[in-house]
Amino acid sequence: MIAGRGRRIRPPRRGLGTSDAVDFDSMWDVLASSLREIHTKNASKLSFEELYRNAYKLVLKKRGETLYIRVKEFEAEWLAKEVQPRIIEELSQTLLLATSGTQMIATANEKRVAGEKLLRALKQAWEDHNLCMNMTTDVLMYMDRVYCKDFRKPSIFSASMGQFRDHVLRTPLSDNPDDQISIAHILNAVMLDQVQMDREGDIVDKSLLKSCAYMLEGLYETEDEDESTKLYLTSFEPEFLRASEEFYRLEGAKLLLEADAGTFCKDARKRVNEEEDRCRSTLSPLTLTKVKSVVETELIKKNLPEVIALEASGVKYMLDNERLLELELIYELSARVDPKKEELRKAVQARILEMGNDVNKATVAATHTLPKPSDQDGDKAEGEEKASEKPVSQQTTAAIKWVDDVLQLKERYDNVLTEAFKSDQGLQTAFSRSFTDFINAFERSSEYLSLFFDENMKKGIKGKTENEVDLLLDKGITLLRYIQDKDMFERYYKKHLSRRLLMKRSISMDAERQMISKMKMEVGNTFTQRIEAMFKDMAVSADLTSNYKRHVAELGDPDPKRAEIEVNVLTSTMWPLEAMAPSYNDGEDRPRCIFPPQIERIKQGFEKFYLDKHSGRQLTWQANMGTADLRAYFPEMKGAKKTREINVSTYAMVILLLFNDQPPGGFMTTEEIQARTNIPLNELTRNLQSLGVAQKTRVLRKEPMSKDVKIDDKFYFNETFYSQFQKFKIGVVTSGNKVEDSQERSETEKKNNDTRGGVIEAAIVRIMKQRKELSHQKLIAEVIQQLTARFMPDVNMVKKRVESLIEREYLERIEDREPAAYRYLA
Amino acid sequence: MAASSSPYVTLISNDGFEFIVSRDAACVAGTVKKMLDPHSSFAESISGRCTLGTINGVVLEKVCEYLYYNLKHKDEKDVPDMEIPPELCLELLMAADYLHV
Repeated sequence: MIAGRGRRIRPPRRGLGTSDAVDFDSMWDVLASSLREIHTKNASKLSFEELYRNAYKLVLKKRGETLYIRVKEFEAEWLAKEVQPRIIEELSQTLLLATSGTQMIATANEKRVAGEKLLRALKQAWEDHNLCMNMTTDVLMYMDRVYCKDFRKPSIFSASMGQFRDHVLRTPLSDNPDDQISIAHILNAVMLDQVQMDREGDIVDKSLLKSCAYMLEGLYETEDEDESTKLYLTSFEPEFLRASEEFYRLEGAKLLLEADAGTFCKDARKRVNEEEDRCRSTLSPLTLTKVKSVVETELIKKNLPEVIALEASGVKYMLDNERLLELELIYELSARVDPKKEELRKAVQARILEMGNDVNKATVAATHTLPKPSDQDGDKAEGEEKASEKPVSQQTTAAIKWVDDVLQLKERYDNVLTEAFKSDQGLQTAFSRSFTDFINAFERSSEYLSLFFDENMKKGIKGKTENEVDLLLDKGITLLRYIQDKDMFERYYKKHLSRRLLMKRSISMDAERQMISKMKMEVGNTFTQRIEAMFKDMAVSADLTSNYKRHVAELGDPDPKRAEIEVNVLTSTMWPLEAMAPSYNDGEDRPRCIFPPQIERIKQGFEKFYLDKHSGRQLTWQANMGTADLRAYFPEMKGAKKTREINVSTYAMVILLLFNDQPPGGFMTTEEIQARTNIPLNELTRNLQSLGVAQKTRVLRKEPMSKDVKIDDKFYFNETFYSQFQKFKIGVVTSGNKVEDSQERSETEKKNNDTRGGVIEAAIVRIMKQRKELSHQKLIAEVIQQLTARFMPDVNMVKKRVESLIEREYLERIEDREPAAYRYLA
Repeated sequence: MAASSSPYVTLISNDGFEFIVSRDAACVAGTVKKMLDPHSSFAESISGRCTLGTINGVVLEKVCEYLYYNLKHKDEKDVPDMEIPPELCLELLMAADYLHV
């Protein structure tokens, strides 16, 4: 193209005349002597250009191959004759002995000195070689560029590196063919030795080690310089890993024997960090992960289970003594070897279970060591005295203590979890599971938890700020989360709540509402529906009462002696009525209390008022739940004012009003009172006890004076009664919420099971309606899945319910179906 | 030793012409770069004078022009071609091969 423009291209002048081109040998002589100069560090006399030009010419004249081979030979000779002997010189006898496997006589110090000497010599040789080869390569650049590329030879640099490997490191030291020890072997041994010394705490020259490792990294098995064939990887690293394995196996065994778990952990972590450091600063980063895994398997993985289980200082000890730092270490180590932290999890879980069971046991023990007359003889009339009141309240205390203990335990482990275990997800679920396990292992947990709330609602939250209350409730709710039998809890909670509401024991309605909304969030809507209905009843009743009062006022009843009434109308399905009147069995008509005429009148008035408003409803009066304020006149009382206002239960009021009709000094026996009031005997005795026996509120005088109320005891109006208070309250012995005795408990359980039966049936029908046909296994699985939010259904119970549904023709078995299956019958 | 750190080096042709060029420009040529490499203590790197025995003055002048040209447009795209007299083509090619530019 250029020629096409009409210009002539000047032929290149023969700058490289034929005369000086052919004479290979003389040019090589120049080159060889120059290379020698380079090796002896006399390069400054040489002209790069001249050498380069020589090499350039040789390659141009197609003598590249010869040149290449000559250079290689030259290097080989140089290394073998000059470098290796110098290194061998530095080899002391001790090293030879040490590596050939004979007795290690040398002291550590001698060994170190000898080793360092060798390493230093090698390092020197290596550095020299590298420098020289860099220069040589520069000079022979043209050859590399043209000849090596064209003929696919490794560059002269890598070729000479190979020479170094073969002639310095790999040449056997002795001619004896059996004795194949070469410098490479010794080098490995020395390096391992140095690392070992470093591990044992001796000071070694790390930079020296590093440069030797670096040298090995720079050398390859073949001239292709494949990354994976670095001498470091092929010869040193396996040895190193083997040695490390050995070292850490011994170390692990030693530590297990000598140290406690805390020390072990500290040491293990230190070792891991050390190895990391070593790889970074002394050896090669390539080894980092490998040696780490060696340490992890040898030191940690193989020993960790034992460490965790160590009797005196293992995880158990750490947990018990709040050794958060050590726990954190253990956690870290476990995380290293096992992402699931199986061992640690097991250990901690076991410990939580153990401690939880301890709490359970302690509570059971606390309740059982006390005499419980009411439980033992089952006769309440006898048992309900002050003496028996004490263990009962102690049981309640025990219940609350149980909750407190559990909460404390929970708090502790939460702390451990966040502080030491970095809020690990897996461990958290493990913790929860353990808590669930032991809480549910304790059969009274739902009752106790409800009691705990009850106690706090009645007393505990007094004087606490909103936040504190909130915190307290939240804690309780966390426990509720662990409880499986939530329906059981609901039952107890309703019972306790109804008492609180009716007797106005609750301190703060706000707190109650808060609690309910919390439960709603936690367990769901259905759970709190009924409880909310109870609150609604209370509100409606308050309205009703005020309406009634207005109604009475409008009627214009002038009777000043007329008693006022406050009524709570409760929807019977929502309220746990059986819990309020425990002594009646269902179906049995409860005897109606006979009210004195003045009260009866009001009662009827209200009934009329109510039924006018809501026709078709039935009112049942629960006299056992009410209270009354009385003004009583004690003629013989000391002091100026002889009237007192007394707050008593409705029954007590009825009893006391009877005495209005008695002449002064007149008496009634228990039997008479019962006949005239129709109060159930056990309630009557209880009320008479508080009226006639209790020291401070002895409004009635009993004959004979004794603790028990017998059927033919005589009661007088106590005219000489004295109380320093103008207003006081006569409590009935069992008005508070307390732990159930075993009889009550089995009753509750029975009722609960009945309810569960219904719930299960409902669930079965729901599922079958949707699915039409379903196998037995699947049906059971779905039922359980639907119900676990409320309670853990018992499989046998589910089966029974299915049977009963088949009997009632809601379902049928599908014939000839294997496995068994059911069909829904519309 | 002062020459080894000086920002200018001298390139000498085989017929005695001396070209003083900046070190950066000279190092565009691979061979010259190695020649001046301070790690290898060849005579050139110490004196800062490179005698190029295969290149004559005319060609070396063009080479130096190219070295600067290359340095100037190092990081640019769409660089316009440099004017090259056709009669020098072959010799320049050989010089380029020799100098590894």
